[in-house]
Amino acid sequence: MIKFNNVSKSFGSIKALEDISFEVNKGEFVFITGPSGAGKTTLLRLLLREFTPDKGTITFESVDITKLDKNYIPTYRQKIGVVFQDYKILNERTVRENVEVALAVAGVPEASWPGRVAQVLKLVGLLNRAELFPNQLSGGEIQRTSLARALVINPKVILADEPTGNLDWETADAIMDLLEKINKEGKTIIMATHNEMIIDKYKKRSIKIKAGRIVSKEKLTDEPKTQPTEAPKVAEEVNEGKQEAKESKIEEKKKIKVKVEEV
Amino acid sequence: MSSIHTKTAFESIKRSPFQALSAILVLTLTFFVSTMMAVIVYSSNNLLKYFETRPQVIAFLKDEAKPEEVSALQNKLIADTRVKDVKYVSKEEALSIYKTATSDNPLLSELVSPTIFPASLEFSLSNLSFAQEIIDQVKKEPLVDQVGFTASLGGESTLNDVVSRLRTITMYLRVGGGVFVGLLAGTSFLVLVVIISMRMATRKGEIEILDLIGATPKFIRSPILIEALIYAFTGVFTGWVLAFLFWLYATPNLIKYFGEIPVMPQGMLDFFLLFLAILGGEIFIGSLLTFLGSMLAISRARKTR
Repeated sequence: MIKFNNVSKSFGSIKALEDISFEVNKGEFVFITGPSGAGKTTLLRLLLREFTPDKGTITFESVDITKLDKNYIPTYRQKIGVVFQDYKILNERTVRENVEVALAVAGVPEASWPGRVAQVLKLVGLLNRAELFPNQLSGGEIQRTSLARALVINPKVILADEPTGNLDWETADAIMDLLEKINKEGKTIIMATHNEMIIDKYKKRSIKIKAGRIVSKEKLTDEPKTQPTEAPKVAEEVNEGKQEAKESKIEEKKKIKVKVEEV
Repeated sequence: MSSIHTKTAFESIKRSPFQALSAILVLTLTFFVSTMMAVIVYSSNNLLKYFETRPQVIAFLKDEAKPEEVSALQNKLIADTRVKDVKYVSKEEALSIYKTATSDNPLLSELVSPTIFPASLEFSLSNLSFAQEIIDQVKKEPLVDQVGFTASLGGESTLNDVVSRLRTITMYLRVGGGVFVGLLAGTSFLVLVVIISMRMATRKGEIEILDLIGATPKFIRSPILIEALIYAFTGVFTGWVLAFLFWLYATPNLIKYFGEIPVMPQGMLDFFLLFLAILGGEIFIGSLLTFLGSMLAISRARKTR
């Protein structure tokens, strides 16, 4: 699904990545590990097409994204859900609005938003926080908002750049459980982390980078166990959520009608 | 989809109300002055047209002129493409006109008889630049006694002076008004660019996030464009309403002052149509200013990113 082939990237005289080659299959959960400054974020930013490599090719579903016309970059990015270490949440919007923005960006019809948003917030456990602003949330909740935003568009791949970097162990563990759950439903996840505890606990394939070079490509488990063609459950849950939202609207209307009749 | 952009635009206005207010005030001033100038130019055009098309030349006929000779001269003038609206005024008609003109002083009309007033041929010109040559030509006609003109402004001695003075006034109004409105429009444009640039700077983080999650450039600039359009439409409409109220109040007095000269539309419908046409033009100009201002601000912001 994703293939890096002899990719190198320098920023001035600093070699951020050198001759990086690896492949990620559909449905895989891969850790990109290494110390700070090793090149993990650069690798993810290259995959997000924030910039192009100096050398080599990066293919996503057989398309060389390094040669992608800039007009197609937004469409390409809409296939990827991104979770950032610094959350990158819109602080002047509520949790619900932050998730809705992703749907608006992807051009999803507005009628389907309530159902999809409700479902994805339920999945990350933020349904009762939907109308709160980021400054009213904890770090873990903000990261889950970021994850909900990434998931709501039903992306093919999720890129997570140190998603647990700013969180305590318990919260980080909860986020990891969530990512694992999402992965089991068929989403491909590439996660950059330097947290050894997480790497040890979750035992995923790990690509270790040091000073811009791959030093090991461990396969700690027999993943990918499954390679589903779709992301069925999340999509199904999103549709179920739509139905639930519809039903709750009807219920609400009925209640209003009864109240009016009483008056 | 547009509702999210509209909501973002209104939120942005709520966040910095003074920036919004300054943009709206500058645009209001611009479009108030534009509406005022448009009406002044319209009135001055009507004034010029009135003097250009009213019967400007009167050929007073000799008493001995025979009807067939008068008729022949009238036909000759009608056939001339430079001349229009040829009308014969008999001695009796001339007296009647005099009586009407002096109706506030009956003594004056009692002192005169129809024989005092000569019969005449009155006509206007298709273009006043022909005036002098037509007058010279008519003067040479044997049955014509004298040639005069009715348009007189500021005591000018010749018709050319009258017209050239009117033209100069109209030209000054057009050029002066145009320059003034242009300067105001330029100021509005710059204020819009500055305010939109400030908005872009404020939303820099948000724009970066939107860019990363796959927002198209159109998606990113839509709320900015909507916000600028809100300023433009509010400014256009407020400026137009203020000017409209002014002219609505002033028009009856103007019509009374200028009498038969149609400096302003005489009927209510024509009056509203004139102002609707001005509003349409201003909405177009306002939208253009906004669009160009937004594009300039956005492209500048992108270059600095």
